[in-house]
Amino acid sequence: MNPKLIRELQNLLGRDAVLFAREDLLLYEYDGSVESARPECVVFPSSTRDVVEIMRLAKRFETPLVGRGAGTGLSGGALPRAGGIVAVFARMNRILEIDAESRRAVVQPGVVNLDITRAVAHLGLYFAPDPSSQKSCTIGGNVSENAGGPHTLAYGVTTNHVTGLEIVMPEDGRVVRIGGKAAEPLGYDLAGLMVGSEGTLAMVTEITVRLSRTPEAVKTLLAVYDAVDDATESVVEITRRGITPAACEMLDGWTLRTVEDFVHAGFPRDCAAVLLLEVEGLSEAVAEQAAEISEVCRSRGAREVRVARDAHERDLLWKGRKNAFGAIGRLSPSYYVLDGVIPRTRLPETLRRIEEIGRDSGFRIGNIFHAGDGNLHPLILFDPRNPGEFERVVAASRAIIEHCIAMGGALTGEHGVGMEKNELMPLMFTPKDLALMARVRDAFNPDGLLNPQKMLPLGKSCGELRVLPQSVGSALPA
Amino acid sequence: MKQDPPSGTQIARLEQLLGAARTTTDPASLSAYEIDGMRPGAAVRPADADEVAELVRVAAGEKLAVIPCSGRSKLAVGGVPARYDVALDLSALNRVRAYDPGDLTLSVEPGVRLEDLQRELGEHGQFLPLEVAFSERATVGGAIATNAYSPLGAHFGSARDFVLGMEFVTGLGEIAKSGGRVVKNVTGYDLHKLLIGSLGTLGVITRVHFRTFPRPAERRVFTAAFGAPSAAHEFCRAVAASALEPRAIEMLDPGAAEISGLAAQFGASVRDWRVVIAAAGSAAVVERHARDLEHMARGAQAARFEAWTGADAAKCLRAIREFVRLALEHAPTATILRIALLPASAAALAERIAAIADAHGLDAALAIGAAGSAGTGYIALWARAERRAETSLPTGRQASAATGASSLEASADERETSLAAAIKELLEAASSGGAAARGFVEWCPTALKRRISLWGETREDFVLMQRVKNIFDPHGVLAPERYCGGL
Repeated sequence: MNPKLIRELQNLLGRDAVLFAREDLLLYEYDGSVESARPECVVFPSSTRDVVEIMRLAKRFETPLVGRGAGTGLSGGALPRAGGIVAVFARMNRILEIDAESRRAVVQPGVVNLDITRAVAHLGLYFAPDPSSQKSCTIGGNVSENAGGPHTLAYGVTTNHVTGLEIVMPEDGRVVRIGGKAAEPLGYDLAGLMVGSEGTLAMVTEITVRLSRTPEAVKTLLAVYDAVDDATESVVEITRRGITPAACEMLDGWTLRTVEDFVHAGFPRDCAAVLLLEVEGLSEAVAEQAAEISEVCRSRGAREVRVARDAHERDLLWKGRKNAFGAIGRLSPSYYVLDGVIPRTRLPETLRRIEEIGRDSGFRIGNIFHAGDGNLHPLILFDPRNPGEFERVVAASRAIIEHCIAMGGALTGEHGVGMEKNELMPLMFTPKDLALMARVRDAFNPDGLLNPQKMLPLGKSCGELRVLPQSVGSALPA
Repeated sequence: MKQDPPSGTQIARLEQLLGAARTTTDPASLSAYEIDGMRPGAAVRPADADEVAELVRVAAGEKLAVIPCSGRSKLAVGGVPARYDVALDLSALNRVRAYDPGDLTLSVEPGVRLEDLQRELGEHGQFLPLEVAFSERATVGGAIATNAYSPLGAHFGSARDFVLGMEFVTGLGEIAKSGGRVVKNVTGYDLHKLLIGSLGTLGVITRVHFRTFPRPAERRVFTAAFGAPSAAHEFCRAVAASALEPRAIEMLDPGAAEISGLAAQFGASVRDWRVVIAAAGSAAVVERHARDLEHMARGAQAARFEAWTGADAAKCLRAIREFVRLALEHAPTATILRIALLPASAAALAERIAAIADAHGLDAALAIGAAGSAGTGYIALWARAERRAETSLPTGRQASAATGASSLEASADERETSLAAAIKELLEAASSGGAAARGFVEWCPTALKRRISLWGETREDFVLMQRVKNIFDPHGVLAPERYCGGL
């Protein structure tokens, strides 16, 4: 990297806020995926002003610039694919305002997701999006990737909980406030465009989030099945009846046993699948919905439906769910976590198809996912040391994603496109759709310096589609 | 505003595309498409997205300005168009393209009437939380393109929360899409969010993907009347802070209660403030609302508290849903502002509204949706002298406003001047709560539109909006200058 640029960055931010030694950069060449891309320099802005000046320097020195929160992302969103500067938002981690009555908080991008809830819990409020990495991931990253989580089934993903942003524009460092505390935008919904834009349009320096009221009652249920089809049919029936649980997660038997050996959450080891369901709200509604869900699960073949008796039992069940990937990491040298979405009516046949793909390709594929909104996370175990295995994982992944699209689904439900699936975008979008998206990106990010080579296909032609298993390894999906 | 009408050859080109049967050129029929007194040279009725794209391409080539419409109930919303050559009537794009009740997802064309759609969804025990004004004419496309207010937003959020994706035609005549049909999806830019409320200035919507919702087993409506506005505000804030989950909670000042017919319908003093609350769910959930709301109403010194079911409940809901329309029927030249309100500033703003209206010799009515939370305020203003001078739907209203056919022509200019001043003061008052609370003029007579800025002061994000407009419609073909400060 140009030493003049490094000197200018040091002058701007201080020596302790600029890393450029090779050993210091190692930490920042990974995110939640194991694909790596080494930055040439890492900086730690402390204020919007710093971000403005960093942006201007990047522009002046024609150097790529990528924002980074906690680096827990699963699609390579925070990796500097074209080198350049990575701006880590760790020092911009203040909660600037809590407006309990309007149910809004104004926060800096480096605030950890769960810390928002911790700061407002005493007011009977919480921040709804809850990715599995919520103890470490930051709200800035959540905004970039439009992060989800188990409880987005009832409450929506990040975009439904962001009403305002302060952004810094790449071409001149201009600071613009869009949206605000108001529930609805005035003018084009620019905040709606920014959330989920994967850091390709502007840098976000302040976020106004919507806070939700802590529910009066919560019940957590565990339905145990001897057949996967019975579990998926239960989800179909719960959805069809218009019951909206706050969360509806499924774990297949193999995944469950692996988790149980590690977490000891009390999951039955001899079943084919479980559903982990949560209902929240008014106590009357919770009691009725829990009863109805139990009835549906039993009528669809659940051999047992347990209800967590207290907070401890509930936490244990969720601990099993949220630590699942750590457990699986103990078993397999490598795994690839997919993220795809299907209409919920297609769950049974899709799980059968995934099993078939696993059988045909000779891989163990685990399933632990957000069944309630059809957001699949098939997990393919493999050993990259075996010659040819990597290529077969790629083929199996592609078959699964193609099935999702054929069902009328989507490429990603919460992990983002990033550098993992940008070449798969033509599966879902026409060249015209993609050209329009590219025009939007180019209008906001005219020099292409902000998070280059992400989300949109690199080549002009659709050409050969490839799944790039960036998420190989100890990934922690939501 | 002067514009050269489209030439005979230009019209002929449009006619060639769709045939004479789907191209309207006779002036009498075209009057139904007037916007702000401007009559298009032709109205065309495409039947699918390909035809829409073709029409936009031809219009762009001929430098004709196109404004999409279908139910035409809200054509008066928005700025005076810079040009208006072709009305793109989408009422023939009126098919439900996919409905998967088991997945609670729906794909529809823009010309589908909302009432018809709700009926169809109702057969499957589902609905869309879009309960908008002008209900018998309103279509999906219009409701989305105007981000039409729905009282159910208090519970379900607005269109941006339940629109899953869209297909649309840009100003370049390209068919494009974003989002998808499934309930969870973060693939690509959410371009469809930009189109919500954009008044047709970015693209012509040709398909909308929605998430649908299950119909509740029971519904009940509660009304509470309060002698003092502070008590009404206190009550709404208490409800918002409680565990209750009302589907709608609307506060009406005495003027709004009168306009909406609620005062006459359900008694109580004409000076009273009303709060209308809709609760829904199982019998036990509705009963819980009844119990807790009554308790809270009593705590807030309510003069009356009543529960309604059946036709009475429907009347209450209709009154709050149709507030805009009822205000325009009450005072056809009313100006109606739509303002984002935060609970902490709602009471103070309500007082300012009364003071501003009084100082300018105006009558005002205020209705607040999602009262007690970050919600939406509607302020209707009209000259004090005016009372039910005429009753008409908005298209008729434009014509009368444009030609100045009013019983009070002598002082028309004076009235406009004081209205313009009042609106400016109100928009300033609305944004004095910080960058948070803001508003715009949703409805006003054409003559006034030319004198005021409907969206208030230009804000710092305007340059980004211009950029968006240039991407979607670089030649200014789509509804030019209808939106937000001339976009």
